[in-house]
Amino acid sequence: MATPALKMKMKTAGCAQSIVCDGNEAAAWAVALARPDLVAVYPITPQSSLVEYVSQFIADGKIEAELMNVEGEHSVLSALHGAALAGGRTYTATCGPGLAFMFEPYWRTPGMRLPIVASLVTRDGITPQCVWGGQQDAMTMKETGWIQIYCETVQEVLDTTIMAYRIAEHHDVMLPVNICHDGNYLSYGVTQVEVPEQSAVDDYLGEKNINWHVALDPLRPMAVDPLTGGAGGPGPGKFVAYRQGLCEGMQNALGVIEQAHSDWADIFGRDYAPLVEEYRLDDADYALVTIGSMTGAAKDAVDSARERGERVGIIKIKTFRPFPVEAMARALKKVHAVGVVDRSVHYGWNCGPLFQEVLSCVYRTGKPIATGSFIGGLAGADLTETHFTRAIDRTAQLLAGTEFDGPVWLNEND
Amino acid sequence: MTAYNTIAFDPSRCELCNDCDACITACAQVKSGTDNPLHSRIKIVAGFNGNDPELALCRQCGDPECVKSCPSTALTKNPETGMIDWEKSLCVDCLLCTVGCTYGGITYNATLKHVAKCDLCDGDPACVKACPSGALTYVTSASIFNEQHEREDLFVPGLSACQGCNSEMIMRHSLRKVGPDTVLATPPGCIPGMGSVGFNGTTGTKVPVFHPLLTNTASMLAGLKKQYNRMGRNVTAMALAGDGGAGDVGFQSLSGAAERNDQVLFICVDNEGYMNTGMQASGSTSYGSWTTTTPVGSQMKGKRTGQKNLAMIMMNHNCEYVATASTAFVEDYYEKLDKALEASERGFAYLHIYSPCPTGWRFPSSQTIEVCRKGVETNFAPLWEYERGGELRFTHSIDNPLPVEAYLNLSGKYRHVSEEQLAHIQEQVNERVKTLKRFAGMN
Repeated sequence: MATPALKMKMKTAGCAQSIVCDGNEAAAWAVALARPDLVAVYPITPQSSLVEYVSQFIADGKIEAELMNVEGEHSVLSALHGAALAGGRTYTATCGPGLAFMFEPYWRTPGMRLPIVASLVTRDGITPQCVWGGQQDAMTMKETGWIQIYCETVQEVLDTTIMAYRIAEHHDVMLPVNICHDGNYLSYGVTQVEVPEQSAVDDYLGEKNINWHVALDPLRPMAVDPLTGGAGGPGPGKFVAYRQGLCEGMQNALGVIEQAHSDWADIFGRDYAPLVEEYRLDDADYALVTIGSMTGAAKDAVDSARERGERVGIIKIKTFRPFPVEAMARALKKVHAVGVVDRSVHYGWNCGPLFQEVLSCVYRTGKPIATGSFIGGLAGADLTETHFTRAIDRTAQLLAGTEFDGPVWLNEND
Repeated sequence: MTAYNTIAFDPSRCELCNDCDACITACAQVKSGTDNPLHSRIKIVAGFNGNDPELALCRQCGDPECVKSCPSTALTKNPETGMIDWEKSLCVDCLLCTVGCTYGGITYNATLKHVAKCDLCDGDPACVKACPSGALTYVTSASIFNEQHEREDLFVPGLSACQGCNSEMIMRHSLRKVGPDTVLATPPGCIPGMGSVGFNGTTGTKVPVFHPLLTNTASMLAGLKKQYNRMGRNVTAMALAGDGGAGDVGFQSLSGAAERNDQVLFICVDNEGYMNTGMQASGSTSYGSWTTTTPVGSQMKGKRTGQKNLAMIMMNHNCEYVATASTAFVEDYYEKLDKALEASERGFAYLHIYSPCPTGWRFPSSQTIEVCRKGVETNFAPLWEYERGGELRFTHSIDNPLPVEAYLNLSGKYRHVSEEQLAHIQEQVNERVKTLKRFAGMN
């Protein structure tokens, strides 16, 4: 059972209280502040305590939302479809096998342009059977049309989950958003967190307008999702128009995500790089590319390497879908070699999925940049400063011209 | 325009040949207090040359010859009741009416010294109650037309269903009744196939309509209904789903919504398989049925297992209301739809409509209603209802059913069925009725 957070004294402007909590509770606080209409839940490790917190908040009246205790993730998202089509703001959370079970309604959600927000408390894939963190679940879903944003810290989980509603419901976007936070490391990692004031969040999010574009409403009767496509008549062009619209929404999201972050910084004083963060990169010869909570240990390793005289930096990706091609290319242009650290596997290319995306961006830079793939942190494995130091050393060898085939498995001897 | 009730006669069930005169005696008693058949206003006449018996009874005609023949306005068509009323004080006993009527529906009674005719016993005909074999029935379905014909038809005039498909009837009748403050979900299957959600940007329905997943209709509607409740708006969340979307791949969602007693009106149109995609078998396909995935060959003779009894499973969820229905018994369906609609305001309501498919079951498109009727009359598709906390109640007699061949013989999908298979099907039907009777507290 989830236990309530320890309250601390008031902190900065726009902050109601400072608490000590883990990432799952931080997400629940964000949900409370975003004032959803319907929350549907089904528990799964390591997400369970998140939906416990949300349920308790609803039981306590802290969240005035309808709570649906649904019989599985497939119905969880289906219930959110119905509520969103009736105009409701919605929330859920899942991961791993639960996400896999949710897949059928999941990959339909972007096509209907429903601005649903769902936390992915990322978990590795099975088999082998495993209940621990890893990003294989989220990465498997990267081509479904959901926006995917990966958090580095517990505070960032809270802040970004609120921002997600601003992004999803923006009229130029109208797409579902996954806020991904690493299972185990962020879900259970406890830190001090500032909880924003309700009124400030209300102002930040503004009035919701969920189903202006598509609705199941007797006051505006329409057919939602008639059979579309086929080889003749108005079909093919209409289908293409839907796909083009979705792609446009995804591209529009890049600017909207940036705006959401800069407005957040103005109001709440916490400034996160919305797409790609550059850490000690300006004078770097080479860099690690990271994603999610691993970045903290990577930054420590880079700081230590800097002390040894290594000119190394970090490129951390926060927004993975849509992929911030320009921002990534801009960062890559500053270095001559990158080692990309993934917390999941790309089976088709024998590398990490983030590595493959970075490789495509290298072509965009028009510059020969040496690249190497590192895979670590699978199934809850720890990625420590030692692991990143090893990655830094191998990337330095890349810079010196020693390339290597296949990925480096950072935890293979752990 | 008004529709009227009438007495219908099925000569194939009449026991006149076995010296039955129950209807005649009953009428005589009610009208004269005696058993004298001369006082009966209903007569059953033996058929000529061994033909079926014929009914001599006033048909309460819409364009009555007796009224036209009457020179004294003693006979009039009553616009309220639809009956041909006879007024003794105006009658001149000319008997022209008896000549005008070709049905023997008005005759001279020598004892009374004037004509006499059927007055439907004020809507409760004694002859029908007395008939032991079901040959006489009082057809009251006129009320459906009278109550519904002015309500808007919420489905498009044209549609792409197969000829003879009764989904159209289900769709039009149900929507007319449920009304415009409805959100309709029609998961993949025959219902969207007939154009409910339209094609390429068009719509087939005048209420908001959605093509949900085959698998998620109930949970999607549950979420939608919750949102409307939150907004303080009374919107009916209604599903018209096939048996696959309800009972196979969509069953988890259906069961979950029933368990939570979500406020949904869920109508399953059971045509025993995936008829829309080419007649593949589903969990609802009955034992022995030919389908494209339970074919007939040297090693296999149609489906090898029995059908899932979805309605009974839903009853065991103890949701607000569960009933079975058949389009051959539309009045019964309307009553159940009324109850289900009302129940869906309190919680989950489930209607299971047996829906024979002329295309997939291989019977002529003109025979759909007859197949429906025989399904009920053989107890293959018994009609019942269940209200939360109560007992199962049969809404059509399960006594004296026809042998199951009377139903199976109508459809090509059973054409290959062996004596052994037939016995097995009959046994399954008997067992199922026995189980239902237990829920009805009948044994």
